[in-house]
Amino acid sequence: MALSVAAVEPVEYNIVYIHVPAAICSLVCFTVLFVCSIQHLRTKDEFWDHVAAACGEVGLVFATVLNATGSIFAYAAWGVWWTPSLRLISSAMLWFLYVAYLILRVSLPDEGRKGRICAVFGIIAFVDVPLVYISARYIPDIHWPKVSFQSGWQSAALGLAVSGTLLLAAVLIWLRVDILKSLNQDATQGMK
Amino acid sequence: MSGVTDTIKAIFVKDLIAEFRAKQLLPTIVCLGVIIAWIFRVAAQAASIDISVAAGAVLLIAVLFAGILVCEKSFAVELENDCLGSLLLAPVDAGDIYLAKLLVNIVILCIFEIVTVPVVLVLFKVTVTGKWLQLIMVLLLANIGISSVGTLLGCVVQQTKTAGSLLSVLVMAVLMPMMIPAIVALLLLFGPVGGQALNVGTFGIAGNFRAAVGYMTAFDAIFVTVCWLLFGLVVGD
Repeated sequence: MALSVAAVEPVEYNIVYIHVPAAICSLVCFTVLFVCSIQHLRTKDEFWDHVAAACGEVGLVFATVLNATGSIFAYAAWGVWWTPSLRLISSAMLWFLYVAYLILRVSLPDEGRKGRICAVFGIIAFVDVPLVYISARYIPDIHWPKVSFQSGWQSAALGLAVSGTLLLAAVLIWLRVDILKSLNQDATQGMK
Repeated sequence: MSGVTDTIKAIFVKDLIAEFRAKQLLPTIVCLGVIIAWIFRVAAQAASIDISVAAGAVLLIAVLFAGILVCEKSFAVELENDCLGSLLLAPVDAGDIYLAKLLVNIVILCIFEIVTVPVVLVLFKVTVTGKWLQLIMVLLLANIGISSVGTLLGCVVQQTKTAGSLLSVLVMAVLMPMMIPAIVALLLLFGPVGGQALNVGTFGIAGNFRAAVGYMTAFDAIFVTVCWLLFGLVVGD
């Protein structure tokens, strides 16, 4: 059953234009984090570690938006803020994995194998991500597996929202990588 | 092949003998398991809820907490006198060290369950007549899942100042997908919920016992392989 967003929809349904892009962005960030983790393990280049760290931070922001908007929508649609539905459990799991990744990152001492250990955890955490997709598509759930629109403008608006959010995520990651790079350079010069 | 088996056997026997001599971990985790079960039993009585529903969750929580303690201790003992460094200097594959530690952790958890499971069954008045094999299978799969992730991350957290607490967060975050089918399998075994009721909605992921066990088996296979492959990167150089 698809969530039907009528041509003139109730105001709560507009949250779809934030909720869906945030979901896509958080999954994309996690995928990039995974790829960068593998690259860091292969090349030992600090750049990939910085990109992975930035993806973790930006991804957590979008995962938080995903869960928060989901909760608001759940209250409007079902009268509860959260319910143990598998899609909601999966979104929460994604959020916890991001938090665990960042906690590990700040817990490890800067010198030594920090990047490598974080990359290892990034790979392990990514193994959980397909479960989010599987649970959304193949498991009976109260959540709507897809959104259907009655007007082409609504689909276009959602497409625009997704593209815009992805662009925003890319800019945020780029800025964060820049900051991490300069922090790393400062630390290296301080040690000299 | 013989070299691999010898390495695993040597570390496995060394760790088990050290544990049986020191008697540090097993009494602690058994005591913890019994206390967890007892507290939940008292709470269930006070709230007047169906205690057989809580039995599965209590058992799994006890195993999870015990598993975290076992995995944390697994590498903490190797830090004294830089034993881990000496272990890595030996001409053995890091993956063999991981497999040996994994086996030790699984065995210790099995011993823990030999005491804790009867206590939970008695306290929560649950009967599993004719379903012992299924119960053993679910608990063994849970042990393998917890130990596979816990052994690797137990080594990772030794490099931080907050080893124990950090390990709890990391292990629980990664293990959540396995906990759902595990709890459903235990609910089906302990009988408070019929299989048909689980086929829809919330527990659709494990609509029947075979689906839950299949999911857990896949989870274990994936994580044992991934962690075994990655262990060398955690301890290398």
